Amino acid sequence: MDHFDEFSRPLEYLSPMDRHLRSVLRRFIEQEVMPVRRQYDEDWKEHALIEPAFDRLMGELGLQKALFPQEYGGWGIAGSDYIFRFAYLLCEELGRADTGMAVALAVTFWPLLVIHLEPYVNKRLIAEFAPLFCGTNKAMFAANAMTEPQGGSDIENMGLLKGRTIRTTARLEGDEWVINGHKLWPTNSGGVARLFGVPCTTRPGSSDIDDFAFIFVPADAKGVTQGGPYEKSGMAADKNGDIWFDDVRVPVWYRAHGPGRDAEAFYQLIPFGQVASIAFLTGAMMNMYERLYEFVSTRTYRNRPLKENPAVAGIIGRIAGDIDICRILGHEAAMMGDRRNTPYGLPLISEELVGKIRNIKDFVSDRAVENLGKVMDVLGCYGPDRDWDIEKHWRDIKIIQLWMGGKQLCQMESARYFFNCETL
Amino acid sequence: MNKGLDYLFGITAGDRDGDAPGVISLARQWAAKEVIGNRLDYQRNYAALFEDKARVLALNMGLQRLAVPEDQGGFGWQGPNHAADIAAVLSEVGRADSSTGILLALNYVLFSVLTRFSEGRAGFVEAVATSYLEDELKIASCILPGPGSVGEETPLFKGRSILARVKAHESGFVISGADLRPFAAGLKADLLLVVCADERGRPCIAVVPGDAPGVERGRGLLTTGLNALANADISFVEAEIKQENLIQEPEAIPLLFTLLNLFLGGVSLGAGMNFFEILLDWSDSRIICGATPLKENPLCASVLADAAEEIACSRLLLDGLARLVSPGGNVQSLDAEGLYTYAVMIGARVQQSIMWAINRGMELMGSAGYAKEWHAEKHWRDVKTIQSLLCGVGAEAPAKMDTARFFCDCKEI
Repeated sequence: MDHFDEFSRPLEYLSPMDRHLRSVLRRFIEQEVMPVRRQYDEDWKEHALIEPAFDRLMGELGLQKALFPQEYGGWGIAGSDYIFRFAYLLCEELGRADTGMAVALAVTFWPLLVIHLEPYVNKRLIAEFAPLFCGTNKAMFAANAMTEPQGGSDIENMGLLKGRTIRTTARLEGDEWVINGHKLWPTNSGGVARLFGVPCTTRPGSSDIDDFAFIFVPADAKGVTQGGPYEKSGMAADKNGDIWFDDVRVPVWYRAHGPGRDAEAFYQLIPFGQVASIAFLTGAMMNMYERLYEFVSTRTYRNRPLKENPAVAGIIGRIAGDIDICRILGHEAAMMGDRRNTPYGLPLISEELVGKIRNIKDFVSDRAVENLGKVMDVLGCYGPDRDWDIEKHWRDIKIIQLWMGGKQLCQMESARYFFNCETL
Repeated sequence: MNKGLDYLFGITAGDRDGDAPGVISLARQWAAKEVIGNRLDYQRNYAALFEDKARVLALNMGLQRLAVPEDQGGFGWQGPNHAADIAAVLSEVGRADSSTGILLALNYVLFSVLTRFSEGRAGFVEAVATSYLEDELKIASCILPGPGSVGEETPLFKGRSILARVKAHESGFVISGADLRPFAAGLKADLLLVVCADERGRPCIAVVPGDAPGVERGRGLLTTGLNALANADISFVEAEIKQENLIQEPEAIPLLFTLLNLFLGGVSLGAGMNFFEILLDWSDSRIICGATPLKENPLCASVLADAAEEIACSRLLLDGLARLVSPGGNVQSLDAEGLYTYAVMIGARVQQSIMWAINRGMELMGSAGYAKEWHAEKHWRDVKTIQSLLCGVGAEAPAKMDTARFFCDCKEI
């Protein structure tokens, strides 16, 4: 194999933007990210290095506009039939360089998808928020404020809990929603995002999905308090922190769609988030392959290149094989999302689609965690060395396995679909 | 945690006698008082506090002198009969901080090797011992054989390239080698155990003072874990050492590997046990599905069981290895080759098991396992670093070759 691009992907699945966008992103990455990414960890709080790269990526190259309709200056991707494949390409290419940067961009799309994806389109809110993202050359972030202190990622378990454990409340007073609650860990929190999508309940303790509300809250609204970013093991380009909503008032029409439809539109985010997660992982693993290739070709065991030793070859061959398989699966997951409006597709809110995509994400996460750990061992005393980049990916991608309900929720969703479990 | 660590994982601890229970208890008190009890402060000011806390343990509490021979003012734990006790002490230290554990472990390895091969170098051993009695933190490290570079033929130790060379010079030797990667503490090490090859390509160990002329230290490295130990590559430019600083006995390098696997296994086991304490605390206090404590959910309980199983089995394996190092009673005595093979096998397995336990446990902790605040992620990074350093280049492949050579008489691998 001559190049990491030759890892398999079904060519008939590629979106019309694939070739052009991939080349633009790769140039950006080589110029703006690769030369400095080893310093990102120390920049986790200030983002002095990271912020200019985001300005270039999201503002100047314009990726933050991608979802919005062209009439607002956007690219109209949300209205296309290839948004999942577009996201896959974007997240994989960025993930090759820095998964933290990839997730910060992808999560900006996340709450906006709730109002953009047919059949859940809210034109008034699109018009309201378009200028924020389409009218500037500076990076502009959004965040999905989901996780709460008491229940971890129970909120992502909509299939079973239907919002029953949510404690962030939305109370209607006149023509305003009044929001109270505490959220943890959203990507792009810690002072970064300008707009939050906030899942909340209009009736605490209710399992009726009509009581689930998805409400947009500007970060500068009165009563919104953000904590500083958490210090983490990796993913420095993705800031996370606490957000408190204390009698925060927003217009009544900042609710995405209304009773019942909010929950359905929100549930669409799960497969999108999982597909993006798979893409981060295959991107990171492709860069892992690049660095591993260099190491095993230039370093020796018994005075022969490592890769020519059959025992080592057995290990690295399996690793490369896993990348190949994971990439095929990732593209299949993206295509499952993009088939949603075809006669042979499944709606994004179907248990089958969610279960199958979660299953692929769980599988790819496990392969990525195991393979990056193994590659660190192949590099031996150089494995933990920042200069070889493997350890950065190893630290960064662990959180991808853990987020969105983690491995256990993936297993449960999968069991629910494949075995018709009723109580999990 | 209702049941203590000793009850859960220390089922063979009753074998210890003499001073061992007291010293182990001392290390546990240090861990609790100096680090675990002030975890957040320790984490936030790690660079500054690491050395202070290590000094308390090594100097004030005397653990720096633990493996210094008794007739030279130490506690005399340098012999194989104390290997199990040292591993247990290191587990207590590893519960608190792996870097401190590694610092002590490397010192204990140094004295165990020096005193095992002390014949003809009594003056040198005494001088090193004396320096360890001073009120100054001492740091030893080692440079092991590792990957070579394509196009360079190097002498080998069991397939691994030996990158340092010694040759006779006047009444001693000079050692040469460029950009060698120490196990740890390249910026700070006072003494280095360097696996090198003599003029005939035979593997040996040079004990090189860090301040010897010709020792050049590179820039500080950023690494996944163990950053407090400040590693850097080291080059030897015709660095002179005395004759007694070169250990040419064939059993020396296998012993070095054996002790590293046992002692660093002890450190990682300690980190794993403390991770388990953190994990239990988490699974006791957090709920799933709106009401159920994590540990009462069958899927989560199975993850907890996985973690417990790996840690408990690692403890038993390490106890077994310690008995092999110090055979007695009904334990069969192994030659250096056999002991080396068992140590490499068990060492690799223990590191894999602890990493597996931590990886599985982090799945339950979700994002909290990833945040520095909970300290779980530090154990994860530190143990992974130890594993990568210890297992050597090629992942488990070289260790598998060692095992196949011993058990199957392979000749060409």
